[in-house]
Amino acid sequence: MPQKVIYIPRINDSPADFAELFRIWDKVNDYFEDVKFDFSQCRFLRPNAVAFLGGLARLIESRIGTAVFDWNTLHDAAVMTNLSQNGFAGYFGHTSSCWAGNSIPYREDKVRDVNGIMDYLEIYWLGQGWVQVSPRLRDAIVGHVWEIYNNAFEHSGSEIGVFSCGQHFPGYNELLLSVVDFGQGIPAKVRNFLSSDPRAEQLTAAGCLRWAFQRGTTTKPKEEPGGLGLDLLKEFVQVNQGKLEVYSNEGYALIDKDGELFTNITTSFEGTVFHIILRCDENLYRFADEKNGNIPF
Amino acid sequence: MEIIIKDVIGPRCIIKEDGQKIYKKIHEPLTKAETVTLDFDGVAQFASPFFNFAIGQLLKDVEEKDLRRLLRIENLNETGKLVVERVIENAARYHGDVDYRKIVDDILEQQAKESE
Repeated sequence: MPQKVIYIPRINDSPADFAELFRIWDKVNDYFEDVKFDFSQCRFLRPNAVAFLGGLARLIESRIGTAVFDWNTLHDAAVMTNLSQNGFAGYFGHTSSCWAGNSIPYREDKVRDVNGIMDYLEIYWLGQGWVQVSPRLRDAIVGHVWEIYNNAFEHSGSEIGVFSCGQHFPGYNELLLSVVDFGQGIPAKVRNFLSSDPRAEQLTAAGCLRWAFQRGTTTKPKEEPGGLGLDLLKEFVQVNQGKLEVYSNEGYALIDKDGELFTNITTSFEGTVFHIILRCDENLYRFADEKNGNIPF
Repeated sequence: MEIIIKDVIGPRCIIKEDGQKIYKKIHEPLTKAETVTLDFDGVAQFASPFFNFAIGQLLKDVEEKDLRRLLRIENLNETGKLVVERVIENAARYHGDVDYRKIVDDILEQQAKESE
């Protein structure tokens, strides 16, 4: 099969940018693909694109294909610096090694490495002294963000694992993290779980995401308790005035301080992206139980 | 019975396998109406899979009011309290019998409204 050249454009993190990533996925979503990623048109690359493209390369390789990032085509110094700093370039054949900076390292987890992921969140994402965060808030954040990873490993069925990358925005005290898997996607999982109810076929992808974010719903077997992880994450993001976006199959969810939005998108992919921005301002943060009083134990 | 969670699990109570370890230790005493104390001193990070398995499962065999009387939880930080309370509330409400038909009904109704 002739080599496909995929030109990586400038990619930010708006819905249109995610659609661009999903179009790239669609171009190489097959077995025996021989793909070269060309950076000559790339002037900007957000962490969501880094995590997605890294995972996509592993997806191609898992399907008996080849994926090469052509570093000779990367002429933009800022992008090169970013990809070297976050370790992505080193993962994919460049001789550079990562160093500390505003980028939070690119990370691949083929299997669930609990302490590795938690250390990554605690040390590389939160613990570099660039956000003002108390130990209490730090522990609350990493515990809630763990729900994203747990969800991916428990439910996605991604055979190549989970891919992450993040960024710190100096001056805003904000942290961004993108977590990507190439599993079946939340809508597909929900529809499969509800398959005994013929009306479930009418659920759109947006409806399935709405279902998944409801308290108490889970696609796990009846004897296994669950159905709280996404609900707790949603609540945490809203309390923090942060922002959570989820792209999964042809569904999109936006959770922020103004509420929640579930909608369908036209350009989709097989898998799930969690894209989260958290504010680390201690003054904004209120623990939910402090609002509601103590629990009786 | 008293269990020092940090000694058994460590400083992170976030995965279902660790929750299951605690469940296995406390299920029988609680069903025999014995008092159990879980001491979370030194545990800093919490997530729902741990408490779903450690405590949520207990509600299948122990009434909520009995669980609250028999199970003592000490030195649990704010995040842990939030998660465990939500887990108990969720497990006690549904007992594994979530009315999925109603949820599907509600979402289909919402979809219909949005398409109008």
